Amino acid sequence: MIKDFEHFAPKTLKEALTLLDKYQDDCKVICGGQSLLILMRQGLVAPKYLVDIKGISELSYIKDDKDGLKIGALTTHRTIEKSPLIKKKYPVLAEMETRLASIQTRNWGSIGGNICHGDPAGDPAPVLIALDATLTVAGTKGERNMPAEDFTLDYFEVALEPGELLTEIQIPAPPPRTGTVYTKFNIIESDLATVGVAVSVTLGSGDGVCQDVRIALGAAAPMAMRAKKAEAVLKGKKITDALLAEAGEKASTEAEPISDIAASEEYRRELVKVLVKRMGNEALARAKRA
Amino acid sequence: MSKYSVIGTRVHRVDGPEKVTGSAKYTFDLVLPGMLYGKVLRSPYPHAKILKIDARKAKRLVGVKAVITGKDTIGRKQGIWRRFPELCDEEILCREKVRYIGDPVAAVAAIDEDTAEEALDLIDVEYEPLPAVFDPLEAIKEDAPQIHDGVELNININRHIEWGDVDEAFEKCDHIREDQYKCCPQAHVCMETHDAVVSYDYGGKMTVWTSTQSSYYIQRLMADMTGLREGDIRVIKPPTGGGFGSKFELDSAQFPAAILSMKLCKPIKIVLSREEEFTATKRRTPMYYYLKLGAKKDGTLLAKEARVITEGGAYTAMGATALYLTGFFSSFPYKYPNYRYDGYRAYTNTAPTSAMRGFGAPQSTFVGESQLDMMAEDLGIDPIEIRRKNGMTPNYEVPGQAFIQSCGLHQCLDKIETHIKERGKLPPNHGIGVSAYGFMSGGIFNWFDTPYAFSAAVVRINVDGKVDLFTGACDIGQGSDTTLSMICAEELGVKLEDIRIHAADTGICPPDLGAWGSRETLMNGNAVKRAAADCKRQLLEVAAAKMAPNIVYDFDIKDCWVHLVDRPERGVSYYDIVKEAIRGRDGNAIMGRGYYTPHRKGMISPAYSFGVQVAEVEVDPETGRYKLINVTTAHESGTVINPVGIEGQLEGAIMMAGGYGFCEDQPMDEGKILNPSIADYKLIRSLDMPETEILEIDTYEPEGPFGAKEAGEGLTNPTAGAIGNAVYKAVGVRINDLPITPEKVLRALKEKQKKSK
Amino acid sequence: MKKELKFKVNGQPYDIYVKPKTLLVEVLRDHLGLTGTKRGCNSSSCGACTVMLNGMAVKSCSMLALQANGADIMTVEGLAKGNKLHPLQEAFLDHGSYQCGFCTSGMLMALRALLEENPKPTKEQIKEGIDGNICRCTGYNSIIRAVTAVVKGEYKEAK
Repeated sequence: MIKDFEHFAPKTLKEALTLLDKYQDDCKVICGGQSLLILMRQGLVAPKYLVDIKGISELSYIKDDKDGLKIGALTTHRTIEKSPLIKKKYPVLAEMETRLASIQTRNWGSIGGNICHGDPAGDPAPVLIALDATLTVAGTKGERNMPAEDFTLDYFEVALEPGELLTEIQIPAPPPRTGTVYTKFNIIESDLATVGVAVSVTLGSGDGVCQDVRIALGAAAPMAMRAKKAEAVLKGKKITDALLAEAGEKASTEAEPISDIAASEEYRRELVKVLVKRMGNEALARAKRA
Repeated sequence: MSKYSVIGTRVHRVDGPEKVTGSAKYTFDLVLPGMLYGKVLRSPYPHAKILKIDARKAKRLVGVKAVITGKDTIGRKQGIWRRFPELCDEEILCREKVRYIGDPVAAVAAIDEDTAEEALDLIDVEYEPLPAVFDPLEAIKEDAPQIHDGVELNININRHIEWGDVDEAFEKCDHIREDQYKCCPQAHVCMETHDAVVSYDYGGKMTVWTSTQSSYYIQRLMADMTGLREGDIRVIKPPTGGGFGSKFELDSAQFPAAILSMKLCKPIKIVLSREEEFTATKRRTPMYYYLKLGAKKDGTLLAKEARVITEGGAYTAMGATALYLTGFFSSFPYKYPNYRYDGYRAYTNTAPTSAMRGFGAPQSTFVGESQLDMMAEDLGIDPIEIRRKNGMTPNYEVPGQAFIQSCGLHQCLDKIETHIKERGKLPPNHGIGVSAYGFMSGGIFNWFDTPYAFSAAVVRINVDGKVDLFTGACDIGQGSDTTLSMICAEELGVKLEDIRIHAADTGICPPDLGAWGSRETLMNGNAVKRAAADCKRQLLEVAAAKMAPNIVYDFDIKDCWVHLVDRPERGVSYYDIVKEAIRGRDGNAIMGRGYYTPHRKGMISPAYSFGVQVAEVEVDPETGRYKLINVTTAHESGTVINPVGIEGQLEGAIMMAGGYGFCEDQPMDEGKILNPSIADYKLIRSLDMPETEILEIDTYEPEGPFGAKEAGEGLTNPTAGAIGNAVYKAVGVRINDLPITPEKVLRALKEKQKKSK
Repeated sequence: MKKELKFKVNGQPYDIYVKPKTLLVEVLRDHLGLTGTKRGCNSSSCGACTVMLNGMAVKSCSMLALQANGADIMTVEGLAKGNKLHPLQEAFLDHGSYQCGFCTSGMLMALRALLEENPKPTKEQIKEGIDGNICRCTGYNSIIRAVTAVVKGEYKEAK
């Protein structure tokens, strides 16, 4: 059961930050509550104060310019999924959102809330890492930016100090001939990832050498992680099937998956191997078409 | 042109309008004036002595009205096998010992749920943990901890079924296979969890509203456990959100609510949480299966031997029946000249395992159909052909066990064979697997009050011709209210809208064993048909007197027209006859009684339904993941009374039975269920559901009302086997322990690769 | 300390006070007596509590009631117009798209929201629309057939 708490519904970011600064560790932030309320109903989280930021409309937006995409942290999954702009220019985001939980969850939950929850099996985190996203975090003392891959620290632990809020996600405009894809493995279609893999491939001009590659894994470590050793196999080379297989192998050894009721560690490594190979291939194909 | 006016037509369910508008009031929705809310405190240990329970702090919490423990009960043990006291081993509220994580030890009544939940944390229970055992193979060892006093090796039930001489027959076989299987547990996951509102009044009468499959069993068991007279307990079944075998035993929502209500003389509502539903209600019986099958090289099956040990859990519940039926249905649907089954049920310190749709037959069908496919492959015989060669036929006697009257298995095989041929050549990594089954239409056996199962119904006709049908049958979603109303309307010759059904209220309805073992259509249907016939006879007597033909049997009623059978234009409106009948008897109502019990039909069931199912899967050999593409079922269930209902049962069964093969499981650690939530317990959702196709076979069952027999439970039997056989056909690996997960498939594929190197 | 909640449910305005921890489903069921919306789990996974909020399907067990302040909620009780059933309800009756009925309210609201957003969904989109709703009885296909019939225009909406 949920324990009693005092509820604040700030209408601006400034109001919210003031509250967070005042209550520090005694308060929790709720947006869509699609993750938080589960924990509160089960009595695992019981804050004295709840800062409800769902109503801060200034933090819900999708903006696009020559530098790239800017998504307000409170933007719902469904808004991202349905955005014609995102479907056209950053389709991997829409594709990822389509497979995230159910429509009901996507209608109310926010991308920021999902990332801040820090679930290693979360879908957005590896995609943002593959897209080389930057996250903006705000506190009463000001803002700071960090790469997406530095945001998640450990199981359900993110780089947010007390008094801070995630406000924006910036995704740089992809270089020409870049393709980014995401998939997750599960048994039930809309389920959490048993393993999630996001790959971004940028081809150089001319003979199609892989100029840049980013491989991010979900549910394969205590947090969403980059498989840098796997990337090194492909970077600067012309991507072949054999190389993709090798990248998969490398990724499966550098991952740190656990065994749980969904899968064993051994099986997760096997899935990483296969999915990195496959997604590398799909990213390559998408890059060629770009 | 159908000879029937009502049965066989596509109708709206009689409870339709209230369900699609959200106006149906389930026990879950019930609120009574002055009602208090209850919560149950459960053991965190799988096996422990209860040393002391201190509830003083809880009682002092503002809003708490009472706290009870096992010491507040009359100290009886209960069980559904009431005629065998040694199998009545469950106190529900434990007095001295707890035997599984979740075993209830106390309950609280408070002004709201939150207060009740808070109070649970304030109850101090001192336990002395005891060594515990979780696997039945461990539980039957000499040094295993004893779970119930006086039960050696924790084996509280064994069953033996035999005919012929298997040992001699195996000598004569050209080929023998021995295989072992492990069948996992399964949770019912009714959308409405177990719940009850119990009101004990100052006059000493108790009313129970509860989500149940049998108001009859709940009434009797509640009387046993409270010391009240059965007649002073009224059990009412509101619309019920699913049962599937989990809700016909006295449970830990009903009983603690009753004790609390008796203490306070106030209505008490207890609703189990979803977590309690997963961890502390009964589950499908997990089984270790050993099978030995012997055949001649032409595919004739000569002998089958089955040995089973089941994980019984902490109490017997309906486990004895599951143990027996799995052994019986291991012989289905084929003619074995020689057969032997030995089953053992072992207590374990886990949540009790009991009845779930199929009742041991999904397990026996999975293992049997898997092995039969292997036998077919060993002998180089087509899977349909081997089933055809050995399949049951009408009027077959299972030696000394059961008599099969109607049986459409061969027609089902033919239909499925055509379907497979039409499917043509399959793409790579696709496979189609076959599975055949047979299932009973209600058990003849009864281990409760009478040796035989029974059903009773009463029909009363009002002066305006509207009919009240009283039956103990429980509609838990399977549609018995509609099906029985249709049978009543057809027999009486009126429209479905003329029937109003009153069901499952022990205060006003005649008793019925309830909805389990797929008995409502056949057994209750027969009782309803007889009651309606009784009323009809009374009406026809009046019609005969009025129209004065030669004998009453020349009359019939159809479409509300009472007429001479030979000259249907000569007749009177049913509504007029009713008025005359009632007025002519000084306002005396027309009432009919019907009763059915399946005498002289063997020991198992009066009738059996059969079917053949195929599942098509596509396997991803690099990950082991597979997709359920299509499940097609040819089945026969006698005359189809309620076609919309049957389709629903078939498709719904595929979701549940498919889940058993595909994804549902309850992994445990030291007796603790690790996935007690709908997030973690995997269920087939709409995106995972395969395309389904139904191929109806026309048969007629003489024992059933209008020729009908079961169609709801048998359909849960074949899917796991069909999936297993399909995966094998697709990628050549066989998984012998359920569920068939991608990880298991991949592991098997890699082993196969290794071996072939 | 209770806080004010002003919202509309099925077209009816309400002005009530609730404890902040109250979930939307609790306000609907316990405070307003609208028991059509059900609860089937504690992990936000079953969908039985689905209602419409400002035209979107949401899980009312996974939302604080206060977050519905100023919102327009529709529950299953708001589907029919007087005694005229909504086409989805008629289609459900015709196709037997429910059995025990406990998931039905949530199912209907998820579908109502789907059709609001997209009046001509494909079969795949219909499946996606109800993928957040567990049904243990029907196997989903009769539900999909019912919705398909509505999409095809076989039912007329009441005025």
